[in-house]
Amino acid sequence: MTISTHTAPAVGGPTGSSIADAPLAARTRGLRKVYRNTVAVDHVDLDVPEGAVLGMLGPNGSGKTTTIRMLLGLVSPTAGTASLLGQEMPGGAARALPRVGALVEGPGFHPFLSGRENLRRSAAAEPLLTAGQISGAVEDALQRVSLAEAADRKYRGYSLGMKQRLGLASALLVPRELVVLDEPTNGLDPAGTREVRKVIAELHGAGSTVLVSSHLLAEVEATCTHVAVLHQGTVVAQGELADLLEAGNPTLLVSTPDAEQSVESLRDNRIPAQLAPGGVRVDLSAVSQPEVLRTLVRAGIDVYEARRERTGLEELFARLTENGLNDTEAADEPEIADDVWLDRLDAGQAAKQEAR
Amino acid sequence: MTATTAETPTPVASAARRAPLIRLLRAELRWVFRRPRTLVVLGLLALIPISVGISAAIADSSAGAAEGPPLFSMMAGNGLALSVGTLAITIMLLLPLVTAMSSADAIAGESAHGTLRGLLVAPVGRIRLLGVKAFGVACVALCAVLVIAVTGFLTGLVMSGPDGLFTISGTTLSIGAALGKLAVAVGWVAVQLWAVGAVALAISAYTEHPMLVVVGVLAGDILFAVLGGLSALSWLHPFLITESWSALPDVLRDPMPTEALTEGTLRAACYIIIGLSLAGARMLTKDG
Amino acid sequence: MHSRKKALLAATAGTAAGVVGLGLIAMPAGAGSAPRLPDISAEKLTESVLTADTPAMAGTISVDNNLGLPAIPGAAGGGDLLNIDSARVHTDGKDGKRVSIEKGSDEQTVISNARTTWIWDSEKREATKIPAGGRDVHRQAPAHAQRQLDDPTAAARQLVEKMHESSTVRVDGTARVADRPAYELVLTPKPTERTLLREVRVAVDSETRLPLRFTALTNGTSEPALRIEFTEVSVGAQPAELFRFTPPEGAKVNEERAEAPKRPKHAKPADRDLTVVGDGWDSVVVARSGQGIDEIAKAAGAGNGRQGTDPRAMLDRLGKKVSGPFGTGWVVSANVGNVLITEDGRLAAGAVPEQVLTEALGKTK
Repeated sequence: MTISTHTAPAVGGPTGSSIADAPLAARTRGLRKVYRNTVAVDHVDLDVPEGAVLGMLGPNGSGKTTTIRMLLGLVSPTAGTASLLGQEMPGGAARALPRVGALVEGPGFHPFLSGRENLRRSAAAEPLLTAGQISGAVEDALQRVSLAEAADRKYRGYSLGMKQRLGLASALLVPRELVVLDEPTNGLDPAGTREVRKVIAELHGAGSTVLVSSHLLAEVEATCTHVAVLHQGTVVAQGELADLLEAGNPTLLVSTPDAEQSVESLRDNRIPAQLAPGGVRVDLSAVSQPEVLRTLVRAGIDVYEARRERTGLEELFARLTENGLNDTEAADEPEIADDVWLDRLDAGQAAKQEAR
Repeated sequence: MTATTAETPTPVASAARRAPLIRLLRAELRWVFRRPRTLVVLGLLALIPISVGISAAIADSSAGAAEGPPLFSMMAGNGLALSVGTLAITIMLLLPLVTAMSSADAIAGESAHGTLRGLLVAPVGRIRLLGVKAFGVACVALCAVLVIAVTGFLTGLVMSGPDGLFTISGTTLSIGAALGKLAVAVGWVAVQLWAVGAVALAISAYTEHPMLVVVGVLAGDILFAVLGGLSALSWLHPFLITESWSALPDVLRDPMPTEALTEGTLRAACYIIIGLSLAGARMLTKDG
Repeated sequence: MHSRKKALLAATAGTAAGVVGLGLIAMPAGAGSAPRLPDISAEKLTESVLTADTPAMAGTISVDNNLGLPAIPGAAGGGDLLNIDSARVHTDGKDGKRVSIEKGSDEQTVISNARTTWIWDSEKREATKIPAGGRDVHRQAPAHAQRQLDDPTAAARQLVEKMHESSTVRVDGTARVADRPAYELVLTPKPTERTLLREVRVAVDSETRLPLRFTALTNGTSEPALRIEFTEVSVGAQPAELFRFTPPEGAKVNEERAEAPKRPKHAKPADRDLTVVGDGWDSVVVARSGQGIDEIAKAAGAGNGRQGTDPRAMLDRLGKKVSGPFGTGWVVSANVGNVLITEDGRLAAGAVPEQVLTEALGKTK
């Protein structure tokens, strides 16, 4: 079903070290969760390599949060296994969770306490903090999410963004091996979003593994080294971001005044091509770029510009589905998105497997 | 941004680590007693013995048989009777509701705020968390009882000095002996409330709506009182915790008859076991 | 997953244990099997009951009243007095006696020692002091029915004694009462006795010969009409301070002389002139007040300080109107007996059918 990261080429981390075949910080096999008659998650085989920033992509209701909750031992799987930092969950919660910071399903704090008091309460439950370290850890975490100024205000009076940042702070109370962030940029303004990205980058730089879920393609693309795509409770694609972006059928967009002639001559040379606005789109899966250009030049066609198409996850999905879904916003609306995602992902899946 | 960011995660042996229990209990207490609602309720409870004492004194000075709750005629100027009497009134409904409120906040409330999740991923073990929560509820219940007992006793002392302390059996008590009896009453009522709290915690573990817990305890209390009033169901009565509660005035008798009080304590213990078992079962299977 | 299952099992077991515990609490005390005791003849047992001294002891008595006495508003009838929650008895085996009658959260306590007897009423916060040699509280105390409670030992003993002539007495096995082994002594009226009672059972403590339980059964019912029993007995020396009393601060204290006037509340005109007609099971108590029913009502109303209820209307409601050689009157029926009240203020009562009451009235004319 899915693309294994084990065979994927290495992507250099900040230290340049390879994480291929790296031990996994989190792993699920055959994970399935059924609520009453609804299958929330099924056959999820997720690998989160150590040191990676893995973005879990999927529309609302695709099973991201349920998967995360099972990984954290909050929910028992109906079938399958989930392991976190080498510990089977939920049994190994006491061994694994102290080294894991989590922000799940939005921040949860008490409105009648100030931000600092809320954080102190969370810190009191952290096994890895000694009594003497609590104050310092709380202040550090507040600093990190730029909440130090508002720390004495009641949580009740916080804006959505401040609440989200306080939630992030509680995940960062202890230096973590793994940080799980479920929709961390929900409710944040652009500045807040940038801040979250910065925090994720810092965590990555410090060697922590980050598992971040989102339904925003751009956010994942901007912050992640790895991607797992969930749809209707199942992982439909996963791997390194760069790899996923490269994979599939790369195309070359050729700008030319003689588009129809170009298509004809390319097809004569058994190179798949089709008309595109302002020129021709050529499938590069079977041929190389110079070969295409050579063919066109030989045919005496004027070529203004040849550009390799690779603009991001959005296009990845567009290419995967071949249906040309160009609207990221569709992913925000599950009612509309579900069908669209299904189509393009199934198609994309098929395409990917063919490609391999 | 700060020093911690640059640090690599501390390598930790994969042994189970837990936050010290005392720290968790202290944090729980701080949380419970910082909640405005808890403080308001405790403050209101303190007013009850004062107002009962004043009305008993008024009824006592105006001639004629005083119509009032049990022990009412004894309460005027008798700090011990005032305390125990107020406890006997409030244990019927008010104190169970206060306990239920605390239990409701303890699990259902935390669940509704999304904070239970935070504690579970900290991680605090589920049974350990239940223990911490039960401790918090027990402390609130004990505090509620103590507030009534202490203000009642002080009200009596202020109204007529240390001479007015006598029992239902007509024996006069020294302050020390009276405090001893009061301590028995406080302990006994607290145990009864713990039983209510245990059952309320079980409800609290099963729902995300704190109000449901309070409503459940209220409904249960009323139902039990109604069942207790039906003589055709006398076989059922020993199973009802509310049946114990009328035994409280026994504390004021001399010598103190222990049979009903002991039975009430045992009954409460059974309820505690049942309540905590159900709550524990739910905590273990609950989705966080 | 495995440990979770185990924990769930433990939780289930805990719940079950709690429920079983509640069930154990619900089980009546002393419902164990009948104890094994050496055989004893009815005569010997009766005799030993009659001769035994009450030891120093403490106990709790419960009263299960199924007499079916009609509730009389505003008047303390015998039925009302037996509607107590429980009574606690302490005795030092000699003069020291203490009886506390619990009604709701109120208590009436009678404390007596060699010199004084105190009666304490917590509801009224009132203490009454009677010097020794004054009226015998344990015989005349607040109401006649209390006598039995004051000293169940004496009451049961009297009964046993009295019944012996007119009854068949046998020992019907053993029982466990208040966790003490006891013989069941059963008194059945001889066929010649005209009574509503079927039998009276007295459980006698095998060791102290103290009557531990008194049960009266009437014809046609299986539920006892009256059961007075110890729910708790501990034999042994009692602390001396239990038999002393100092009225608390602020309590009203009445002192009675030897020939103290009777307290108005319990001054029932009917108590004045008592005769017992017949003996054994069909004895009838006949009282005569010398006043007509209307005058009694007036006096009682004045004494109680409240509006007297119309006695005729009340009697109409409680009983049925009868007439006979005694004039007209009302018969009030209860499970154990009948009471006949005449218009001219006479009263006859006994554990007998109505006919026997009429006869008794005729005999005392």
